[in-house]
Amino acid sequence: MLSTDLRANVLVVRVEEKRIDASKAPSFKDEMARCIDAGQNQIVLDLSQVDFIDSSGLGALVSCLKRLGPRGSLAVAGATGAVSRLFTLTRMDRVFALHPNVDSAVEQLSA
Amino acid sequence: MKIRHILLILTAFLGAALLVAVALQIRDELLEYQTAERMVASNTVRERLLLGTEALASERSQTYVLLIGQRNESNGIMELRDVRRQVDDQLNAAERAITVTQASLRNTSSSLTTLSRIRQEIGTLRQQADGSLGLNGGVGGQEFAPRWFQEATRLVEELQSSRMTILQRERPLDPVLRTESNLRAYGAILSESIARNQALMSRALGRPSVVGGLEIDAVSRNAGRAGLAWELIDGQMAVPLSESVKEAISTTHEYYSSTFAPLQRSLLAALLGKVPPALGPEEWYDLTGRALSNIALMQRELLRSSRERIEAELTRARRSLVLWSVLLLLGAAAVLASILVVRRRVVRPLESLSQAMLRLADNDLDIDLPRRPRADEIGEMNDALRVFKANAIQRQRTQNEKQVLHARLREAYGQLQKDLEAAAVIQRTMLPPSSRVDGVAFHGLFRPSSLIAGDTYNVVRRNDGAVGFFQVDVAGHGAAAALVSVACHHALSQAILTRTQGTPLEEIAVQINEEWPEDLPYFTMILGEIDSRSQRASIIQAGHPSPLVIRADGAVEMIGEGGFPVGMLPAASYERLEFDLGPGDRLFIYSDGLVEAEDQAGEQFSEDRLRALVREAAAEPSSVLLDRLDDVLRNWRGSETLDDDLSVLMLERLAERIPANAVH
Repeated sequence: MLSTDLRANVLVVRVEEKRIDASKAPSFKDEMARCIDAGQNQIVLDLSQVDFIDSSGLGALVSCLKRLGPRGSLAVAGATGAVSRLFTLTRMDRVFALHPNVDSAVEQLSA
Repeated sequence: MKIRHILLILTAFLGAALLVAVALQIRDELLEYQTAERMVASNTVRERLLLGTEALASERSQTYVLLIGQRNESNGIMELRDVRRQVDDQLNAAERAITVTQASLRNTSSSLTTLSRIRQEIGTLRQQADGSLGLNGGVGGQEFAPRWFQEATRLVEELQSSRMTILQRERPLDPVLRTESNLRAYGAILSESIARNQALMSRALGRPSVVGGLEIDAVSRNAGRAGLAWELIDGQMAVPLSESVKEAISTTHEYYSSTFAPLQRSLLAALLGKVPPALGPEEWYDLTGRALSNIALMQRELLRSSRERIEAELTRARRSLVLWSVLLLLGAAAVLASILVVRRRVVRPLESLSQAMLRLADNDLDIDLPRRPRADEIGEMNDALRVFKANAIQRQRTQNEKQVLHARLREAYGQLQKDLEAAAVIQRTMLPPSSRVDGVAFHGLFRPSSLIAGDTYNVVRRNDGAVGFFQVDVAGHGAAAALVSVACHHALSQAILTRTQGTPLEEIAVQINEEWPEDLPYFTMILGEIDSRSQRASIIQAGHPSPLVIRADGAVEMIGEGGFPVGMLPAASYERLEFDLGPGDRLFIYSDGLVEAEDQAGEQFSEDRLRALVREAAAEPSSVLLDRLDDVLRNWRGSETLDDDLSVLMLERLAERIPANAVH
């Protein structure tokens, strides 16, 4: 469900699903955990394909952030519509660095 | 018809065809053997008769010359005894041969009768001859001689004819044998002609002056017959005869034509011309005797050749018969063996395999399959059947295990369902029924996605007159979320009740958030308070959808912009949002399951539709509004089920309970 691409030492993880809900959240969490455990500190999560994230999906996102800890940063790119609103509603826009697109996120992280 | 029948019938049919073919051949061989046997018998009898006839002719001549007194009696009688014994010996031998071969030859009794009659007549004739010779007294030799000659000649002819009768009955098919028997017949004519002339000419030469025309006629007729016999013999020479036979014939012929025939012609000419002949009777007699013995040699050579041929044929027929009989036995054994092999190696195994297959098809797994290892197709079929059987047993075992497992699962599921149903009842009893508390009326809508929900709400009246309330939505749904929701329900209810006056509302959220165990799912909530004395209300929005305020005049507002969920980040901070809530104003709090409910096409119900609906039904009492919302949602979903828990809590500040002086 994820595709990865290393750009300027930043791992761009693209979610190839329209939804991250209770059925997808566990595998999303596992795959992200593998990326993080592999030693990636700078990660951009590309959510441009995602239309909807439910409470389980949000929990999975936050658990990734916790796993990454203070040593790295997880930026979110391409969040729009319901996803963007969810970030605002739950104040996650203050926790994750949100970017309109992957390029600006990568630029920011690699700086 | 089954394969085993076809196999057995085919094998038996082929075997029977083979045996019949061989049996027919054996029958032919047997017939040939019998024919050869008959030929041997017939040949033996004829050989004896031929030699007997020759001897009788010789006896005739000797007796004749004695009777006419041309021979020294004492010597002549000695020789006569010898020749008589030869005649008797040969005829005895012929009689014995006929008796011995009675089984294989036809009409032997008539031949025996003829032969014994001839012997009797010879005996009678001999007695008369002896009498005439003065041995027993009686008529004189000269008178008896012609009669002797006549009678003896008749007997010789009878012997010849009885020999020819036997030959006629068993004519050989082999051309060489036929030719040889023809040659013997002509040889016999030749021999008889010469033998007659031996006697007749002797008499004529003894007294040439008184020889009558009739006597000369008889002699020349015999000479002519001998010439004719030679012509007949020459006519047979085209056939491939054996070299020894050809040689015997040509030697005899040579002697006859170079010596005997010219002499006989000159003697005849002398007799006719009344000229004294060049030869005396005794010399003639001896000369003729030599010619006769030449012919006898030729005849013996012919007899020997025929006998060898016939015996060779008999041996061949016997060998052939034995060979075919052995073939028949071998064939029968092969047929029997192939039937046994087909039965043992094909038919029986096929039968037991087909039985086993039928029983296996009937799910009978107790069948025994033979363990004999075989490398042929039947062995392969047997191996495959073993695999089928093993698979079937495995399948049955798996099936049984599955059934047991299924039963257990059903039981466990039933138990779980019962537990969940009980839990659902308890969860519902935790929710406050629609009611009013200190001027605040409230109504709830609660629809779990399964039996129990991660949503919960409560309205609590504080001692100081304030009305506290909350709605919680635990992340996820199902039993885990439900348990967490119960914990939240308790914690929040207690927190509202025990909060000391003056402590800000957000402190509750901060405290719970800080103390929330990290491994429990987080939750979103609206925690609020309505002051019964003022017209104010305040809420903490923790990641929960922004509530709506339905004003008494029907206006609909959305309040709050969001906030951190509880239990997600320990360091989160919360803000209190204060707003007016006048008489008749209503607060509409809902969990995200409401706006995220999807229709069949996957479209969410959305905040916009919710607001439109609420605006439209703003004039309706809360219970009616909730019922309508419930109906609309069911229609939206197109089914009774939900993907996420859904709950709504509506609170209304009642107008009449508001003190009149408080209204400005």
